[in-house]
Amino acid sequence: MTKLLLIEDDAETAEEITAELADCGFVVEWASNGIDGLDKARALRPDAMIVDRLLPGMDGLTVIEALRKDQVRTPVLVLSALGAVDDRVRGLRMGGDDYLTKPFAFVELIARIEALLRRPAESRDRTLRAGPLELDLIERTVKRGDRVIDLLPREFRLLEYMMQRCDQLLTRAMLLEEVWNYKFVPATNLVDVHMGRLRHKVDGPGDIPMIHNVRGTGFILRTGV
Amino acid sequence: MSEAPDSSFAPGYKVPRMRSPQFIQSTTFRWALTVAGILAIFVTLLFGFIYWKTDKYLVARSDSMIAGNLNIIAAVPEEDRRLHAIDQHLKEDPRSVQYAGLFDANGARLGGNLERLPPDLKLDDSVQRVAVEKVLPDGNEENRVIRAIARLMPNGNVLVIGREVDEANKISHVVGLAVTLGLLPGFCLCLLAGAWLSVRAQNRVEEINQRVQRIIAGDLRERLPYRSVDEPLSKLAIIVNGMLDKMETMIHALAGVGNDIAHDVRTPLTRARLTLERGRTNATSLDQLQDVVDRSIAGIDQALTIVTALLRLAEIENSRRSAGFGEVALDDMLEEIGDIYEPIAENKNIALRIEASRHMTVRGDRDLLVEAVANLVDNAIKFTPEGGKVGIELTRGEGAVVVRVTDTGCGISASERDAVQRRFYRSDKIRNTPGVGLGLNLVTAIVKLHGFRLKIFSGPGCRVEIICPDGPTWTQSGLASTPIENVMPSPAAVPSGT
Repeated sequence: MTKLLLIEDDAETAEEITAELADCGFVVEWASNGIDGLDKARALRPDAMIVDRLLPGMDGLTVIEALRKDQVRTPVLVLSALGAVDDRVRGLRMGGDDYLTKPFAFVELIARIEALLRRPAESRDRTLRAGPLELDLIERTVKRGDRVIDLLPREFRLLEYMMQRCDQLLTRAMLLEEVWNYKFVPATNLVDVHMGRLRHKVDGPGDIPMIHNVRGTGFILRTGV
Repeated sequence: MSEAPDSSFAPGYKVPRMRSPQFIQSTTFRWALTVAGILAIFVTLLFGFIYWKTDKYLVARSDSMIAGNLNIIAAVPEEDRRLHAIDQHLKEDPRSVQYAGLFDANGARLGGNLERLPPDLKLDDSVQRVAVEKVLPDGNEENRVIRAIARLMPNGNVLVIGREVDEANKISHVVGLAVTLGLLPGFCLCLLAGAWLSVRAQNRVEEINQRVQRIIAGDLRERLPYRSVDEPLSKLAIIVNGMLDKMETMIHALAGVGNDIAHDVRTPLTRARLTLERGRTNATSLDQLQDVVDRSIAGIDQALTIVTALLRLAEIENSRRSAGFGEVALDDMLEEIGDIYEPIAENKNIALRIEASRHMTVRGDRDLLVEAVANLVDNAIKFTPEGGKVGIELTRGEGAVVVRVTDTGCGISASERDAVQRRFYRSDKIRNTPGVGLGLNLVTAIVKLHGFRLKIFSGPGCRVEIICPDGPTWTQSGLASTPIENVMPSPAAVPSGT
């Protein structure tokens, strides 16, 4: 059972988040302020934490900082109503692992939690494998079975990111942040266009589709057939 | 002051009520009073000096006169003739200021108009000030203080000659009169002038205060009164009025933005609310209900998008950070943007062309610059019909690096050029294109923050340039009042902004 700690001062929001996370099979502990949250984080040793940025008693970032000082490496998702880029950067620098601006969609929250819990381990392998896909990080080549796939640099990076997170839902915002390094949401649906081209190359005619579109949310690279 | 708001609201603006008339407490009046006082002291001292000098002179003259008279009368050889000379001397005195007396060795009066020999008069031929008793023609006596001289004659008699210096009294009277007639009115005039000036100043301050109170109460059209340009208070009033003009414009602009927000956020929220309300009543199956909820969420998301965009805009506009600036290689940056947008252009069958001169850097925030250029390219692709062309160019202009984005779309007409920079402005012909109408505002804000300029050319096919002047212009970030230049008006077609 995956244990999560939610530090959020608004009881109603906390209740909704807890219920949704519980539906997804997580065990959620709730703390309503920073001090209580810090105590619970130390006592319960959760697998991941969701911390609101502005908390009564102790600021969310202060909580994270205190934990990091104690060498607690628990992954933390920072929630904030402050969406400013500077604030986001500060949140990540203070030891947060990801940053989500309120209001958010539940799928986005769940996807990011999953991503935090299943962060790819530091690997020395020069090749990534996902089902029939094989990606050579040194040679910069991709093969599906015996078929060589010719990719543009950006497509290569996109596929690399997805192969490190097989069978995980990757939202558009996550892809924009991680693959394109965009700090803003562009008007045009950049991700869809690029993903469309990648899918066209990866899932050739007659192949079983691997890249799946999750309607209105994001994409999954499925390895199991 | 009657319409002044509660003092807890604006204590600093309230002129305290005074118990005595206000002008007495004013600095102007106090200064006037001080000056009047000093003037009075000076005038008094001056008149005193004149009086003192004149008096001294008159006494000296009178003294020499009586000494001369004494010599003349003492020189008369016989006692009888001497008495006669004394009588004669007294008779030739119409103002009756002359005194004379001859006394025998026992002090008995022999002649003259002195009742007795003044006891403290020294017989040493020196003029002294003594008190004497005068014999009046009607036989009465009168005490007087006079200047007198006495001599012991060889026969033992004592001859006394004296004179009353009455001119001194007259002079002092004149001086007193002059002081009364001159100084007092002058002093009063001073006080009146002081009071008038201070009341005038007080009234103006009071008037300004009342107007400021009206401004505080919300009447932004109110202005401070002024008379002439040369007067300090008027100058100040003109400066403050200028400030109020600027603030009024800004507040109106803000109010306009507020209205825009209200409109643009309320519209999708209203849609969502109506959808939910109808769905709650009419939906009969889970599928229908889910459809209703999906549409509502879409409406709410659109409202949130607008709020996010506005916050982002405010963040950039209010940002004064130039500390985070670094060297940005524009050629690499444009390549990257082209790389990102190439597939999108291709999907729309638009030729995306990038021409970037090498080794061009500017000082700036890379993320923000990417955002600005990406916005322009995004717009260009969005508003260019299929089969068109979009170009991204990086060239050297005159003392500046120029990033140019061109397209073969319908362009921005001269009449719309100002409008596209307004928030939420969306050309009527692009109503069906997605977007909230803030993209160009964002670009403008970013460009302004860097101290760059945005040039929008009108005409068929849009052409937008970001002009990055050489040198550390970013230090004036945000100060450049109009970084947008409108050039080359020409009749042309339509649209604009994301």
